Formats: sequence, C-alpha cells, structure tokens
Amino acid sequence: MTDDAPNPALLPAGLMDLLPPEAEREAALVETLMAAFAGHGYERVKPPLLEFEDSLLAGSGAAVAEQTFRLMDPVSQRMMGLRADTTPQVARIAATRLGQQARPLRLCYAGQVLRVRGTQLAPERQLPQAGIELIGSDAAEADAEVALVAAEALARAGVPAVSLDITLPTMAPTLLEAAGVPPVLRQRLARALDRKDAAAVGELAAQAGPLAAALPPLLAAAGPADGALAALAAADLPPAARAIADNAAAVLAAIRAREPGLRLTLDPVEFRGFRYHVGVAFTLYGPGATGELARGGRYVSANDEPATGMSLYPDAVLRAARPAPARPRLFLPLGTPPAAAAALRDGGFATVAALGPGDSPAALRCTHVLRDGAATPFSKDDV
Amino acid sequence: MDLPIPNPEAAGTAAASPIILALPKGRILSELGPVLARAGIVPAADYTDEDSRRLRFETSDPGLDVVRVRPFDVATFVAHGAAQIGICGADVLMEFDYPEIYAPLDLGIGRCRISVAEPAATAGQDEPSRWSRIAVASKYPNVAGRHYAARGIQAEVVHLNGAMELAPSLGLARVIVDLVQTGSTLKANGLIETEVIAHVTSRLIVNRTALKTMPERIGAWIARFRAALG
Repeated sequence: MTDDAPNPALLPAGLMDLLPPEAEREAALVETLMAAFAGHGYERVKPPLLEFEDSLLAGSGAAVAEQTFRLMDPVSQRMMGLRADTTPQVARIAATRLGQQARPLRLCYAGQVLRVRGTQLAPERQLPQAGIELIGSDAAEADAEVALVAAEALARAGVPAVSLDITLPTMAPTLLEAAGVPPVLRQRLARALDRKDAAAVGELAAQAGPLAAALPPLLAAAGPADGALAALAAADLPPAARAIADNAAAVLAAIRAREPGLRLTLDPVEFRGFRYHVGVAFTLYGPGATGELARGGRYVSANDEPATGMSLYPDAVLRAARPAPARPRLFLPLGTPPAAAAALRDGGFATVAALGPGDSPAALRCTHVLRDGAATPFSKDDV
Repeated sequence: MDLPIPNPEAAGTAAASPIILALPKGRILSELGPVLARAGIVPAADYTDEDSRRLRFETSDPGLDVVRVRPFDVATFVAHGAAQIGICGADVLMEFDYPEIYAPLDLGIGRCRISVAEPAATAGQDEPSRWSRIAVASKYPNVAGRHYAARGIQAEVVHLNGAMELAPSLGLARVIVDLVQTGSTLKANGLIETEVIAHVTSRLIVNRTALKTMPERIGAWIARFRAALG
C-alpha cells in the first residue's frame, strides 16, 4: 500500500481558512463597508445561502448559471442552487416581499458566495461579497449614486485613490445592429472590438458600411473620461446609440457634480464581462496594481424594474487597503479585579487573562502588561 | 492572489515603477529585433544572448524593462499583471483565452499556422464523419479539443511539450495538432498537413487593469509599436 492518508489540513481546491488576524480584519472591513452603505440609506437584507434554482438563476442570475452549485431538496423534490451572486436574490426580494414598498428601494447585503470553478487568476471558489442595489429608478443620478457610495465605502475602508472605469456594454451591439452588419462580419467585428485590435476594427468597419464608421474612433477614445466623452459627442451616431451616449454623459456629469476629484475613465465600446448590464457599467480599480475592487452597473431587475447596483469584493479590498492597526493585547495576571479589566477593555484593549501560573504575556502574544494598575507596552526583551 | 494579505508593493507608486514588457524566447526573438528597434526600445546588450542567465533586462528607456520568458508564459505574465505588456503568438491566445488580456496590435511577424497533420500513409484513407473520438498529440489541448468538438468528435489529447511529430509513428496518437511554419519537420517525419486550423502571427498584448488604470502610459506604448509597423 502506497496511498497515504490524506493530510487533514488539505481543503478542496479554491477554499481556505482565514486565520487571525485576517479573519477579524475581513469581518471589520465588511462592517465598515456596510456602515457606509447604511449611511446613505441602504437597508440591509439577508437572503439565504440556498434557494430554488428557478428564482436564483432568473434575470441577472442567468449569467452565473454555469458557476452555480446545485443540489436537490429532498423535502420539496426541487432543485436548489447555492448562490454564486447575491444580486438575483435581492432582485427577488424587491419584486416579492418588498414589492409593495415605495420606489426607489435602496438595499444592501453582505455574505459569502460560492462558485463551481475558480480561474487561474482568481482561484477562490468561496468569495465574500458586499453590495448595494438601487431598484426602481432609471435616473442617471441613481447610477452616479451607487458608483459614488461604493467609492466612498472603499475610501472609508482605507483604500485611498480608486479610479472608476465606465463602460457602455450596449454601445457596440447597438451600433452593429443599426448598421445592419451581416452576422459573420458582426462576429468578427465583435471579436476585434473585444481584443481592442484597432487595425482589424478599422478594416472590418470599413467593410461593414458607413454606419459602422463610428467604431474605430470610439475604440481609440477609451481612456480618460473627458477625451472619451468628446469623441462620443463628435461621433456620427444613429439615434439609439446617441441615447446611450447622452445617458453616459448625464451619468458622468452627475458623478462630477458630486465628486469632482474622482479619477474617471470611459471605454465606450467595451462589452467584456458585463453580460446582463443594459446601461452604464462600472469597475472600481484600486491604486497601483491592486486591481478590480468592485463592479456593477445598470440592469433590469425582476418584473422589468430598472435597477442599478455595485458589488464589492472584500477579499480584494483587504489586499488593497492600508492595514488598520491591530487591537493591543493586554496580559491580565492572576487575580486582576474584574472591574479593572472591564475598564481596560472599554479603553480599547483586548484583555488576555492568565488562567494559571504558567501563562506568560510572551507566550500569549500580548503587547501590553499591567504594571502598577496601568497598561504598559511589553516586549519579549523586557523580561 | 492566493492569500488575503495586504500587498504594499502592489499599492505603491505605480507611476514611478517601470512598465514590464514580456518577450518570448526562441522562434520569434530574431524577427522581433527590428520591431523593437523601430519602436525605440534598445534592451541591454546581453538580451539577445540566449546563454545569458539574466531574465530581466533594463532598456534604453528608463520607464521600460524587458523580461524574457517562454512563449506560453508571456500570456500568463500579462494576464496576472506581472508584466503590463507582452508579445506572443495568436496560437497562445487561442489556447489560453484569458479575459484579462487585450490584443490590440497584430505585429505581422512570426507567421505560421496551427494545423492538423497525420501520417502520409493514413491521410485520406478514412471518413472522418464516422469518427466519435480521435487520439491527438498536441501542446494545444484546448485548441485541439475545440476544433474536433465543433465537428462532433471527442478529442483525446495527449499533451506533449515537443517532438509531436513522433507521436503518430510510435502509436501515441493518430494525428497531431501543432504549429507549422515551413512544413519541413512534418515532411522529415512522414507526416502531411491535412487541415489548417488557424493562421498565426505575433500580437502585442496588454493587461486589462494596466490599460484601465494607466491609459496614458500604456496607450503611448501601443502607439509606439503601431508606428513601428508603419
């Protein structure tokens, strides 16, 4: 026999234990984000981890259908899904149990999601998610609000300079539709746009006719928002595409009016990764190479209600955030009066009580000891 | 991305650190020389020396460093953002369809094709529409799998990293899916090219996050390469 017993530390792929102090930091971070959401009037809902797959995979849920773990409910004999995204659950709540409540409805949530497969880039199969949904308003102000509330939550969580990338996932399909591009050519154009292959887009757009001529300059315009907006204004767009451009300009103006300092980029013809978005879509990038911290945008909620929202990824935020100082640990020798200990806890210390004469502040990783009734910094060299 | 630990370097002053350009070793390194020169990139002297142990080279531009890795790894470095831009064959992008990579520029160098080849003795002897599965030797398991799946055939891919041409004669696979440039290697091993899956050239590739967060700097490099082609 050569097969060794499996190591008990081994977890299934993509799953992990969070240990001290990261587990506490993540929980604190999620509460910081939720407090920021609550401050803007977003009320918390808590959907269950599991629900029937027909409601879970409806609407925007269809985009994550293949990432959803499923199991059969022995009670109802119906198929259930473990959520891979919380937005469809919030959409269900808004349409059913909160269907009578006046619109617009502002809801927020925090919880774990599971997905069938990680990717090489993001191998996690269980992810924390915290987000907001604004349901029942189609105003540009609503889009601006969710983007800015998310940015503010990140700032409160210690991520300083975020940059907001705005995309218009419906722009390219609308232009191709209006230009009456034949399907084969459309597929090749979509692929070239997706890769940002400017030469191929230019060549194929020329074949596709005059209405597709707006594509190459719009592709080139991706970048800082002002330049991209100017290119959109200058482009010769059919009415449907013009409406999308005007909406983007209105959302940008609303964001600028509230938060002039936020770094904004605009990519008019990108549609990658936003499968269920129907208007502007947002990505918040952290500083430097910390990557994507939040994503969202406008979508159609259950019962065809207009909605917009943002999902934040606390695990990514944690990597980008300035580490908050850890709570100091104070060693309480045997016989410390409980009232004194309680006062020290109120003062911000985590108190670690000795349970026997063998306990020492060093072994229990304490940063402070009690000396003459006062907390005094402690280092191992002091002993 | 495996540990939730803060990464102060990643959050640091990206504006100050040089952009990393990942270049493939081997086949297209020599063809790449003139393109780099026209783009105004002069890497350190030992860059073209395949014996050099160094992997990262500074260039004449203080804002750009070059790393030299295997062609398949160029895409991996760029997808993870370890390098912000890179140059690799369209074959690599077909095999790894990373959503984090844009391929904005066809450099038109390193021309070749991904093809199916099989022994001259068996080619055309059989009716492929009757097959339900086929053994394929390839270093492109995804490309080969997709190609045959589209024809309703299950490809059983034997993943090899080289010397694919030996596989049919030694009974490892019935056909191979590989890069073909002149066809002389196939010929020397008694194989003939029966189907071209795709024509391949080298592409300039860009990390999505880098393009989104540093549009001016990355855009300027794309423009320099575009001008170098003109």
